Amino acid sequence: MITQARGNTNIIEMQNVGIRYGQGPEILSDIRLALPKGSFHFLTGKSGAGKTSLLSMMYLAQKPSRGTVSVFGKDINFTHRDNLAMLRRRIGVVFQDFRLLDHLSAFDNVALPLRVCGMDEREIRKRVNELLSWVELDRHILDTTATLSGGEKQRIAIARAVINRPDLLLADEPTGNVDNDIAPKLMKLFVELNKLGTTVVIATHSEKLINDFAFPRLHLQNRGLRIYYPSDSSLMEKYHV
Amino acid sequence: MSDTSLISRRQELPLKGGNTSLFLQVIISIAVFIFAITLSGVLSINAMLSNWNQSILGSLTVQIMPVNDSNREKAQTETLAHQEKTLEFLKNVNGVIKATPLKDEQLQQLIQPWLGDGIDLINLPMPRIIDVKIASNAEIDFTQLAQDLTAVSPYASLDNHKLWLNKLIKFADGLKALAMTILILVTAITSGAIFYTTQMNLGLHSAIIEILHTMGAKDTYIAQQYARRMGFLGLIGGLLGLLCAIPTIFFIASLAKQIEGGIISEANLNINDWFIIFSLPLFSMAISMFTAYHTVKKTLRKML
Ligand SMILES: Nc1ncnc2c1ncn2[C@@H]1O[C@H](COP(=O)(O)OP(=O)(O)OP(=O)(O)O)[C@@H](O)[C@H]1O
Ligand SMILES: [Mg+2]
Repeated sequence: MITQARGNTNIIEMQNVGIRYGQGPEILSDIRLALPKGSFHFLTGKSGAGKTSLLSMMYLAQKPSRGTVSVFGKDINFTHRDNLAMLRRRIGVVFQDFRLLDHLSAFDNVALPLRVCGMDEREIRKRVNELLSWVELDRHILDTTATLSGGEKQRIAIARAVINRPDLLLADEPTGNVDNDIAPKLMKLFVELNKLGTTVVIATHSEKLINDFAFPRLHLQNRGLRIYYPSDSSLMEKYHV
Repeated sequence: MSDTSLISRRQELPLKGGNTSLFLQVIISIAVFIFAITLSGVLSINAMLSNWNQSILGSLTVQIMPVNDSNREKAQTETLAHQEKTLEFLKNVNGVIKATPLKDEQLQQLIQPWLGDGIDLINLPMPRIIDVKIASNAEIDFTQLAQDLTAVSPYASLDNHKLWLNKLIKFADGLKALAMTILILVTAITSGAIFYTTQMNLGLHSAIIEILHTMGAKDTYIAQQYARRMGFLGLIGGLLGLLCAIPTIFFIASLAKQIEGGIISEANLNINDWFIIFSLPLFSMAISMFTAYHTVKKTLRKML
């Protein structure tokens, strides 16, 4: 009903999904999930609950051990490698550990998603410079990211994730290392993108963040997933609860 | 705003430098060096062979030694009988189109420069000669033919020069096969080295590759970077190897000339041969690119 009311398909769907590493026990079991286009969710749970694991299926770095995962309507178990690559180009990811290419400059790191899909170098320069000055890193454009601080790296990672205006943005603890004054600015960036139609999932430990922005919350507990909706009634309405 | 176009680096995979590059470059240089020298050998042998084959093809001469008997008449008849027998045999040999004994007049003409006119052949222990025409595509084993001839008639023998040349051709053919094997082996070993270093390198950079994949890079994008890098190493290694090979080839050629001017002078490399040898660095570049590209594609297929 929810999705039909919005007239859209779900960006992500999971059915009976289980994940295990090697021969170990399942760390997530029977996950059932549907994220409508244009939705914004927080992802919470204790350390080790499986937030990163769940996200990694969404950004197509991992297949489920069982069950089906569909991203942009494509079952990832039955999608050709090259088509998976095309799907990934529509997804922006902020990794918990940043995963920047530390031998490259801030500029080249942020330019990466654009170069991978063969964008014109002039256009790349324009976009990257613009975004880097927006995250207040224009001083460091040509510095290799190895020389940057944790917070600076995180902002680069975020810039890289949003540079190609993704349809799906997945962020793993994106504001963990940045100063208190820049965190709201970055959150605002995510919200702005969301308003433009990007579906967003943000894994976080920060209760403050969750309370400041009253978005529904995917909570991982005991290998399962529960969805909590914010108590605010207008938001309840917004999310058709 | 700073000008990012000047300093910006595009090397997402840090493939430059390092021991692997040096190792590959040395391997490729040595490979091209060996390849160039062996190839020049093959090409020289080819040149010799085509010269030799031309002189051996088409015709050959069979000689019937005169039977020794104090009775000239009898000796003559017997010699002619041997010639007949040999003729019969030759006509049935595969590849022989025609076998004609030289007539008395022709023989006389042959010896005329030495012995003058008016010689009566009966009084001379003159060998008889059979001129044999051979089909151009005939594959005649001359050594075998020589043996068969002796079996038919102990007085019959094959022209010595041809026989010797035939043995030489066989030897050269063997050498050529050996050289070709070396060429194939060198190519295979080089491709193998490129295959394994590429695979190792992919493992080394798996974190970067994973990131590139997450950004939506196709395997081709990564394979192209490897192909470009390996192609460069192949070209440089090839040029180095060629640079060392050229003087070596001339040195070997000069040694060969000292041994036996007659035969080896036919072994000169022509302009086409040199063109092939000089294009070896391009060849090693192509092999390196091809191998690296497909190694990456094949290895990455196993990743998600
Ligand atoms: N590659 C892996 N191999 C084996 N086990 C893994 C792997 N990745 C995660 N795990 C295990 O899976 C469980 C969930 O890990 P995950 O990283 O998804 O948790 P998380 O919720 O992101 O934790 P955190 O909040 O600390 O980032 C943990 O017990 C972890 O040890
Ligand atoms: Mg995590």
